Amino acid sequence: MRLVIDESRCKGCNLCTLVCPYRIFRPGTKANPRGVIVPELDRPERCANCRLQRLYGRTICGMCQMICPDQAISWEEEGPCEPMKVAIEY
Amino acid sequence: MTFDEWLRVDRLPHIYCAGCGNGTVINCTLSAVDQMGWKKEEIVFVSGIGCSSRAPGYIVTDSLHTTHGRAIAFATGIKMANPDLKVVVFTGDGDLAAIGGNHFIHGCRRNIDLTVICMNNMIYGMTGGQGSPTTPRGALSTTTPYGSSEAAFDLCGLAAAAGANYVARYTSYHVKELTLAIRTGLGNPGFSFIEALVQCPTNYGRRNKLRQVSDQIEYFKSHAILAQKAERMREEGKKIPDDMIIIGELARRNRPALGVRK
Repeated sequence: MRLVIDESRCKGCNLCTLVCPYRIFRPGTKANPRGVIVPELDRPERCANCRLQRLYGRTICGMCQMICPDQAISWEEEGPCEPMKVAIEY
Repeated sequence: MTFDEWLRVDRLPHIYCAGCGNGTVINCTLSAVDQMGWKKEEIVFVSGIGCSSRAPGYIVTDSLHTTHGRAIAFATGIKMANPDLKVVVFTGDGDLAAIGGNHFIHGCRRNIDLTVICMNNMIYGMTGGQGSPTTPRGALSTTTPYGSSEAAFDLCGLAAAAGANYVARYTSYHVKELTLAIRTGLGNPGFSFIEALVQCPTNYGRRNKLRQVSDQIEYFKSHAILAQKAERMREEGKKIPDDMIIIGELARRNRPALGVRK
């Protein structure tokens, strides 16, 4: 799974930067064509839901998606890819 | 826990300001409804007038956008005409506490099988930031430029005293607990009242030294106190500070409900 921010819905309130336990979201720096400063993703592969949703069969954590007032955060399916090592912080 | 299929995707992005907590409450409500496993045909969302009352317009189910303060009256009509429908009322503090106060009290008294979700942003957000019955004492608004001198309305206390079957209060920071409370309210026969305190950065936070959206969320986080803990503190004789928000399940009882098929 891959964490994505829908730039057509996001209004740049930065609430996701407040709630993510891994601090994946960072306040953005550049405005998009709509004039909204969309948060940036810092190594989104660390997200617990991206890694474990398939294994557990339900949404893990999901705080960013629930608190996002603009329904802009979601996870999308990924195609097959090369396995790679991910450093996980505790 | 997906709510995307309940949204009218072509209507998004919605009209709310950046950082408005109403969107969060929509997420919580829709995931609670999704967890109940109900079909889209058997649920109706009713709303009055105000920022919060625009919420049913973004949901695919049948909905009713009614006159100011009369959402509970219309919802009573729906429920009595067809008790098989599940009726959820979205309402704001100005809608429910000010103009619709009597409908609210009598809805609680009759104990109709409704779920009322009050998005309390402590101000009249849509009309330009006038003080509402739930504006806390000392808060600034356009009609209270020297600070509100009135005490705020405790809506949960009102609902519990008037006889609602389930009363809970959470904030837009406590999303998981709010979802659980709404789910409990939906499953509970009788009048379920869930008050969700939401941030209003445009009209409340801007005038009350909470300019950033995160400031108000941090305020909710640091000033919320669980009802059980407040009870314990009271027993120990400790004083609860006046600005604390008591959250949690505040009433749960089993009075006979109206509008439930026998």
